[in-house]
Amino acid sequence: MKPVQFAISICLFVTSLTHAEKAMQATLNPVPVSFVVELIEKAEPGDVIRVPPGVYEGNLIIRKPIILDGGQKAIFDGLGKATVIEVVAEGVTIRECAIRGSGMDVTGEPSAIRVIAANVTIESNTIEDVLFGIDLREAPSANIRNNVIRCKDLEPGRRGDGIRLWWSHGCVIEGNVVQGSRDMVFWYSEDLQILRNTVTHSRYGLHFMYSHNTVLEENDLNGNSVGVYLMYSNGITIRGNRMQNNRGASGYGIGLKDCDDITITGNALLANRVGVYIDNSPSSINSTGLIESNMIAFNEIGLLATPNTHDNVFTRNAFVENEEQAVTHGRGRLVTNAFSRGGVGNYWSDYAGFDLDSDGIGDVTYEPKSLFGVMLAKEPNLRLFVHSPAQQAIEFTARALPELRPESTLIDPSPLASPPEIKLEIVGTGVGGMRMFIFSASLLSFAAICIAVMGIERGMPAQNSGGRT
Amino acid sequence: MSSMTAPSDLPKKSVPAAPTRVGGITLFARREFRDALASKWFLLYTVAFTVLAVAVSFLSLSGVGSQGFAGFSRTAAGLLNLIMLVAPLMALTAGASSIASERERGTLLYLLAQPVSRAQLLLGKYFGLAAALTCSLCIGFGISGGVLAWRTGGVGVGAYATLVGFTVLLALAMLSVGVLISVGSRRSSVATGIALFTWLALVFVSDLGLMASSVLFKLRVQEIFGLATLNPLQSFKMAVIVNMNASLDVLGPVGAYASQTLGNGLPWVLASSLAAWIILPLALAVVLFVRRGSV
Amino acid sequence: MIRAVNINKRFGQAHAVSNVSFDIQAGGSVALWGSNGAGKTTLLRCLLGVIRFRGMADIGGLDVRRRGPHARALVGYVPQELAFHDDARLGSAIMFFARLRRVSGARAAESLAAVGLNGHERKRVRDLSGGMKQRLALAVALLSDPPVIFLDEPTSNLDASGRGEVVEALKRLRSDGKTLLFASHRPDEVILLADRVFVMEQGKVLSDTTPSALWPTEKPVQIVRLFLTKASEAEAADALRKAGHAVHLNGRGLCVAVPRGHKAEPIATLARSQIEVRDIEVLDDLQIPEAKQ
Repeated sequence: MKPVQFAISICLFVTSLTHAEKAMQATLNPVPVSFVVELIEKAEPGDVIRVPPGVYEGNLIIRKPIILDGGQKAIFDGLGKATVIEVVAEGVTIRECAIRGSGMDVTGEPSAIRVIAANVTIESNTIEDVLFGIDLREAPSANIRNNVIRCKDLEPGRRGDGIRLWWSHGCVIEGNVVQGSRDMVFWYSEDLQILRNTVTHSRYGLHFMYSHNTVLEENDLNGNSVGVYLMYSNGITIRGNRMQNNRGASGYGIGLKDCDDITITGNALLANRVGVYIDNSPSSINSTGLIESNMIAFNEIGLLATPNTHDNVFTRNAFVENEEQAVTHGRGRLVTNAFSRGGVGNYWSDYAGFDLDSDGIGDVTYEPKSLFGVMLAKEPNLRLFVHSPAQQAIEFTARALPELRPESTLIDPSPLASPPEIKLEIVGTGVGGMRMFIFSASLLSFAAICIAVMGIERGMPAQNSGGRT
Repeated sequence: MSSMTAPSDLPKKSVPAAPTRVGGITLFARREFRDALASKWFLLYTVAFTVLAVAVSFLSLSGVGSQGFAGFSRTAAGLLNLIMLVAPLMALTAGASSIASERERGTLLYLLAQPVSRAQLLLGKYFGLAAALTCSLCIGFGISGGVLAWRTGGVGVGAYATLVGFTVLLALAMLSVGVLISVGSRRSSVATGIALFTWLALVFVSDLGLMASSVLFKLRVQEIFGLATLNPLQSFKMAVIVNMNASLDVLGPVGAYASQTLGNGLPWVLASSLAAWIILPLALAVVLFVRRGSV
Repeated sequence: MIRAVNINKRFGQAHAVSNVSFDIQAGGSVALWGSNGAGKTTLLRCLLGVIRFRGMADIGGLDVRRRGPHARALVGYVPQELAFHDDARLGSAIMFFARLRRVSGARAAESLAAVGLNGHERKRVRDLSGGMKQRLALAVALLSDPPVIFLDEPTSNLDASGRGEVVEALKRLRSDGKTLLFASHRPDEVILLADRVFVMEQGKVLSDTTPSALWPTEKPVQIVRLFLTKASEAEAADALRKAGHAVHLNGRGLCVAVPRGHKAEPIATLARSQIEVRDIEVLDDLQIPEAKQ
C-alpha cells in the first residue's frame, strides 16, 4: 500500500500547489507583508481582519488581539527567513491562512507560527515548507485545530517539529494533520487534550516529556518511527487511538519510560515493530499502569518490557498474531505484572487451551514458552528466519523436549477463549473486496482454461469420418 | 483375424516424419498434464492446499477479520508457512516421479523408441507438470482468495497477486529439482525418497544449519543474507515480504541490511535466485538425461 | 537400410554388445538368435538410438545418434510387452502416437482396424489381453507405415493362437517389402520369417547365417526342447553336438533339431553321458515352406 499512499500524498500536494497558484494569479504580484501590518494597526482589538487573497512576503508579528482570517486564499511567505508569523498578544486567532517559507537555520528554530502568549487559537491553516510548524512557548490555553502541517522534506534528524508545546498548559490540540515532521512534542505542558490528530511519516507521532495529566483520544499515528512515546509523564490517558506501521529502529506503537498512572484503553496497535513498550513504568511506589481492551495485533513484538517492569495490569486485551506476543528486554520475566483482573485475562491468539465450561475464560493458564523467542533475544540476526517452517520446528522441539523449554515470560491465569469485542472509532481501510473477487475468479478461470485447453482429450475420430490432426 | 492386413493404401513414397521440436514437447506436455489431472496426487494436493489455505486465511483473520485494517500482508505471513511446506512438497514429489516411474514401468523405453529426442520428452514432461502445478495452486489461491474477499470485504490484491506469483515460481523451481532427482533415479520409490529428503533439507535442515552456523561462527549479516539467498525457500519468503512491505526490516538486522544495500534491486536479486533454481536444475537434468548411458 | 559399424555397449564391466557390425538391405528380414543375455535386446536398443553406445549405426542413411528422431521415424518398434500407461484408453493411446508420428486420426483408426482392435477404443490398456496388447503395439508400429520394423521377442508372452496371429501379420509385412529385424526364442518363427539369422552370444555376433543352415531341413524336422539342470547344460550341448545334432542353448532349455520320428534320440544320447533330462517339450510341427529347402 506504500506506493498508493505516496501517490495520494503527491496528489494532495499538487492540488494544494495549484490552489496557491490560483491565489497568486488573483493578485498578480506578491505584496510585502507590511500591507497586513497596516491592516492590523488600523484594527481595534477583537476585530476580524479578512486578508485579501494574495501572497504576503516577509515576517509578521501580531501584537494586538485580533482575528486574522485568510479566507483560504491568503498566503504568508517568510521567503526562507526566520519565523513567518509570531504571536505575542494574548487572544489572537489565526485561521484559514496558508503559511510557508520559514527559515532553515535550526539554531533559531524558525517556525510557521510561534506563540508566546496565552489563549491563542490557530485554526484551519495550511502550513508547508517550514522547519517547525506551530511552536507554543509558555502559551497556555491555546486551541490548535484542524491545521495541516507539512514540514520541509529533510532527513528525519534535521527536520523540525510539526507542533511543539513548551510550558503551555491546558491546550487543546485537535484534528490536525502532520506529515513528515520530526515530532509532535509536548514539554512540561499539563492538562492537554490531544484529539483526533493524524501524524504520518514523522519521527515520533506524539512525544511527551515531563507533561502530566493529559488525554490522548482517537489520534491516528501511522507510518512514523514511533507512535506515542511518553517520558517522565504521569497521569496520561491514551484512549481509542490507532498506532499502525510505526516501524523505525525502535518502532513502538506506544512507548512508556518512567511514567506513572498511565491508562491505555481501546487502542489499536497494529503492525508496529513493537506494540507496547514499557520501560520502568510505573516507576513510583503505589502507582499502577492499566492496559485494557486494546487490540495488539500483527506487531513483531506485542508487548516488550524491561525486566524491572512491575505493577501493570493487563486485561481484556487481544494479543493477535504478534510474532512474539510478550517478551522482556534481555533476561527476566513479566510475572510481577497482573495479566488478569477480577478473573478476566487477555485474549492470546496462540493460546492452545480450551474452554470446556464455556464461560469465555480458558480453563488452562496461558504460559507462553517460546524457545525461538529466547533465541531471538540473544541473536537478533536470527529474525531472518521468522515465518519459516524452521521456526515452527524449533518451537515444536521445545514443546516435545521439556529440558529445552524456556521459562514462560508471563502467566495469564484466565485467558479469554475468544477475542473481546473491541470498539475502535477508527476503522481501517477495507480495499476493493470486488477487486479481490475478480482476481480470485480470474485465477480459477485461468486454471479452468488451462484444463480445458490442455487437458481435454481429443479422442479418436469416428471410423469413417476422415479426421485429421 | 481375417481383417488383419498390412496397410498398403498410403502412397509408398511418403516418408514418415518426426514431429517438430516444439510439437514434440507440446505433445508430451499435454500428455503429462492430462495424466496429472487424472492422477490422485493432483487431486489430493489441490484439495489439501485449498483447505489449508482457506483455514489459514480464516485463522489469521479471526477476531480482526471484519476490521480488515491490517491489510493483507499479515494474512500472507500466515500463508507463508503453509506455502513453504506444501508447495515444495507437491513440486518435488511430482517431479521426482516423472521420469523414474516411467523408467520403472518400462514405458520410458517405449516412448524413447518413438521419433522424439530425450530433451523433447523431458522438457515436455516438465512443462506439463508445471502447468498442472500452476493450475493446482491457482485453484487453491482462487478459492481462498474468494473466501478472503467475502470474509474481509477486501484485502490487498497486489500483495495477494505477488504471493501467488512467487509461489508459482517456487513450485517451478522445486519441480526442476524434482525432475533432476528423477533423471538420476532408477526406481520411483528411490526418487520419491530423495525428493522427501531434499524437501526436509530445504525446508528445515538448511535453515537450522544456517541458524546454528550464524551463531557458532558469528557470521556477519551480509554472509547470513548471502547464504540464505541460496535457499530457494528463503528467497521466496524474502521476495514475498519485500514486495509487500517495500522493505525487509521485518526480518531483523539481516533484512534491514539487505534492504539498505540492495535497495530497489533486492526483489530482483531474490527473483533471480528463484529463476536460477528453475533454470539450472532443469538444464542439468536435460544434460544428464541426454547423456545417460541406459534407459 | 540398417547399418551397424562396430557397435559396442558396456554396462559397467559387462560387455552387453561388442564389436557388432552388419548391413541389412531394404526388404531383408533378420532374426537375432541367442540365449537370454546374449545382447539381442541391447543391440536393438542401440540401433534405435535410445541408449548411448560406441560405434555407428544408421537407419535409412540417418545416424541414429545424431538424427535420432528422424531415424526412429523410419522404424516401428514392437517391444516384448507393450508398456504404456495402464490407465490410458486404447483410443487415446493410439492417438498420442499418431500425433507423435504425424499421421491423421483416420489413419490411427485404420491402423487399429488392421490389427482387429477397432471397437475397443474405450478399453483401458490395463484391461487388454496379452495378445491385444501386442496387436496394439503392432498397430502403433505401423501407424506411419515405416519401412523398418524392429521386434523384440514379440510373441514370447503370447499363447499359441496369439503367436499365430502375430506371425501371420509379420509374414504379410515381409511380403510388403518391409525390412524386419527381430529377436526371437522360437526356431519356428525364425524359419518362417527370417532370411538371415545373427547368432549372438555374450554380446558378439558369432555367425551371420540362414535359418536353413542353422536347422538343416532336408528332412522334416521337429524341435525338441530339453530341460536340464543349469549346470549340465553346456556339457549336454557338447555331447549332443558330438552325436551330430543341431543344438542351441537359449533362455529356456536346450533346443535340439531332430528328424521326424526320432524325438527320443537326444535323450538316449544324454543318458549315455549320464546327464539327466528333467522334462521335454516338443514344439509345434514346423511348416517349412518349400522354397526354403
